[in-house]
Amino acid sequence: MTDPMLNFTTLNAKQLAELDSACGWSLNALELAEARRYFKKAGREPARGELETLAQTWSEHCKHKTFSGPVSFKAGGKTKKYKNLFKETIVKATRTLNKKWCLSVFTDNAGIVEFGDKGKWGLAFKAETHNHPCAVEPYGGAETGVGGVIRDILGVGLGAKPVLNTDTFCFGFPDTKMKMPKNSHPPERIFRGVVEGVRDYGNRMGIPTAAGGIYFDDGYCLNPLVYVGCAGLLPVDKIDKKVHPGDLIVSIGGRTGRDGIHGATFSSANIDEETTTSAVQIGHAINEKKTLDVIMRARDLNLYNAVTDCGAGGFSSAIGELGSETGARVHLDAARLKDTRIEPWEIWVSESQERMILAVPQAKLKKLAAILDAESCEYCVLGNFPGDGRLLVTHGETSVVDLPMAFLHGGVPNFEKPAVKRVVKINSKTPARPAKTYGHILKDLLAHPNICSRHSVITQYDHEVQGGTVIKPLQGRYGDGPGDAAVIWPQAATLDLNDFAGFAVGHGFNPALGKIDPYQMALQSIDEAVRNLLCTGAEISRTAIMDNFCAASPKDPRVMGDLVLAAEGCHDGAIAYGAPFISGKDSFYNQARDAEGREYPIPISLLISATAPVEDVRKAITMDFKEAGNPVYLAGVCGRGMGGSVYNDMTGPGNNYITPLDMKAAVRLYTTLLIAIKKGWVAAAHDVSQGGLAVTLAEMSFSGGLGAQIDLAGAVKEDGLSALELLFGESPSRLALEVAKEHETDFLKLVKGLPVKEIGHVTEEPALLTGDAGINFFREDIHQLKARWHRELI
Amino acid sequence: MIIEIWTKEKYSASEEAALSKRLGHAGLAVEAARLSRLYKVDGDFTAKEFRNIASELLVDKITEKFSLNGRPHGLKGAYRAEVWLKDSATDPVGETVKEAVEEFSGKTARAVRFGHAYYVACGSELKLRHAVGKTLVNEIVNISRIEKI
Repeated sequence: MTDPMLNFTTLNAKQLAELDSACGWSLNALELAEARRYFKKAGREPARGELETLAQTWSEHCKHKTFSGPVSFKAGGKTKKYKNLFKETIVKATRTLNKKWCLSVFTDNAGIVEFGDKGKWGLAFKAETHNHPCAVEPYGGAETGVGGVIRDILGVGLGAKPVLNTDTFCFGFPDTKMKMPKNSHPPERIFRGVVEGVRDYGNRMGIPTAAGGIYFDDGYCLNPLVYVGCAGLLPVDKIDKKVHPGDLIVSIGGRTGRDGIHGATFSSANIDEETTTSAVQIGHAINEKKTLDVIMRARDLNLYNAVTDCGAGGFSSAIGELGSETGARVHLDAARLKDTRIEPWEIWVSESQERMILAVPQAKLKKLAAILDAESCEYCVLGNFPGDGRLLVTHGETSVVDLPMAFLHGGVPNFEKPAVKRVVKINSKTPARPAKTYGHILKDLLAHPNICSRHSVITQYDHEVQGGTVIKPLQGRYGDGPGDAAVIWPQAATLDLNDFAGFAVGHGFNPALGKIDPYQMALQSIDEAVRNLLCTGAEISRTAIMDNFCAASPKDPRVMGDLVLAAEGCHDGAIAYGAPFISGKDSFYNQARDAEGREYPIPISLLISATAPVEDVRKAITMDFKEAGNPVYLAGVCGRGMGGSVYNDMTGPGNNYITPLDMKAAVRLYTTLLIAIKKGWVAAAHDVSQGGLAVTLAEMSFSGGLGAQIDLAGAVKEDGLSALELLFGESPSRLALEVAKEHETDFLKLVKGLPVKEIGHVTEEPALLTGDAGINFFREDIHQLKARWHRELI
Repeated sequence: MIIEIWTKEKYSASEEAALSKRLGHAGLAVEAARLSRLYKVDGDFTAKEFRNIASELLVDKITEKFSLNGRPHGLKGAYRAEVWLKDSATDPVGETVKEAVEEFSGKTARAVRFGHAYYVACGSELKLRHAVGKTLVNEIVNISRIEKI
């Protein structure tokens, strides 16, 4: 049989598709036809390396074709057209806000905002997903996900020092009753492997893992979501980078092997029973630590002009990206290899981990080599950036790739994707009075996997390394209460022990809302993220956010419809909260297919990661009750509806109405509350989110080892609100606050006219007593509540 | 040479309980369980040198024991499951130990691979194989073998 690569330009559409499938490229018919057209016009057949390069560069993972492409969205008989959905929603919000403290957005490996008040530092922040690899090999997938996002921070500007790792996971319920396909991993195993991977990589790198969350839904049984983030600091004069013609291409860090081939194109495919093994690998944190140490030293000595990481697509992507203007000459025979049984094109696209590419002036190579040797970090000089705009890759005398950069980066065809709004039936009838007592329901909610303690995961991570984790993931009198956000004092990067500037990192995430209303999901996720930052006392007027979308196959117009609505929500939320998007990522095809052809799509999922400065980390606050006698206030309006609540997940379908977010009211409320927190009038703040107000109050009580006597008669609430909605509804923009008794008068003057009302006081007696105008809802011992909450998840 | 290292009995209860619980999740009723860490060191070392590498480099003498000839596990009618990363998978522990062995001994090790041995007393080999496959082994990156001992 003739090698189809030898007559590529004569293949018909069916033959092209067969070739694509055999090679694992995940190119669509239009892209294959465009490649064929190019080589036909060039009058030659392509080399394997050239088609591999196109597949990597044009992959969904690298080009984000879905989100940055045209979309036609139909809803209620109207059609809205987008030329570039990403630019017309996410980017548009950032451009409109035009915050001068945003130093670099959407152009580099991570977003960068100003840090501190001296104009010296930038804070880089990035979150990635590593979903497909984790579904196949949870431990290795999670490790390499963490390693990859750390390299994004090392590769932003001229390199930032990582000071915080974040992790947010979605799994199927560990005790799921769902019938799993034969070759799949049970959710409990995926969960354990992912946690161990994140733990081992972060701990070995010496970076604290201190913020994140875990969410369970059987929609993630076959497609777990693994969001990994990293924040780092760099001097503002190290943000700009530019490859100069003549610079050498220097690869540092790990060696290149056959592991991780087709990782980028794998991300553009549904996982099925035939998923190949080469797309995943095990990370090597120690190699990356050596690379980190080299970059920090070489950066400060100005030994290179540009840097980027080898992520998806390996050399092909990293060198292609750095040389997008200058072109590149690459000699693959110079690469340091793990294994000599490797084809030249495989060296080019291999995604072996822990590699960074530097653009090094010839005259500085010797000094750089001395640092590399001192840190025991391997390196090789692969070629140079010539300045002619052409990518020429060779191995010995053999040409592997010879393509113009303009075609590589600008030649990918795109097409309009249809999107439709899903119709969801809304039941807004008053929820039925439950058969169980409210106290019983509260205990069940506290033990629910989406609410219960995460200590068995969190304590595996080193969240203290670098000595800057001021507000920790576990808080309270016993160091085991559920924090809203982490506060980091990055003195390990600034080396300034007299500067107490820090930053907070929090998240917003609720796919249960997305199943009902993706627009509200996006809005309320932004609201939750901002509220979590507020609970620590962070300066929320300087909030910067990131979007990480995960969705099923974009070939389904309903999936695209969800994406459009969530993206519009992101735009509107960012504008209302004055919080620009500084970076983001999307991951599609989170959809598995079993041997019988059944599809398992995930629900639309959007993680909002947020950061805001903390002027003085010594003044940051936590969520646990501090002192008996202090009054407890509820800020925000208790709205109607149980839509998206954990209660509904526990009891089955019923009222699924979602209270729409009043963004203006929320911003006005939060801005005022921040003043009170900064003045030291608020002793504890905790957001009302999963499980509702009763869970919030229970968590504040048992984390502080104190009880509370609560009367919700004073709470601001919508007319006709049932007790169930009041206690366990999850309407947005609410916080419970413990106000210092001695500052209560000042506090009340400040919040006059806002929906902030006293609902009770903290008690020495370890019991949570909650009622409404004389009606007793429940009286529960806080130790018993804590015992139910303090489950070993893993 | 395979160097087998395990935690002394007076310190091993928690790791053994965790292993039993993990296998239990996959439906196996475990009567007793032990686990060891395995280092397969490939190099031209004498028996004395291997012993030195084990005792002076790899073992925490306070909490661990080692053997070059297999572990006396003390379980009757048990099975032994041995799990390694495939040669094609990066083995960061093995690579790090290889460097350490070379610095410690002054001699080159051709390769070091890291693995685990699990000793499990249970009633059904079939159920054990299923449980190991669902909890301890991922055929994509691991090789394993189970034998009755």
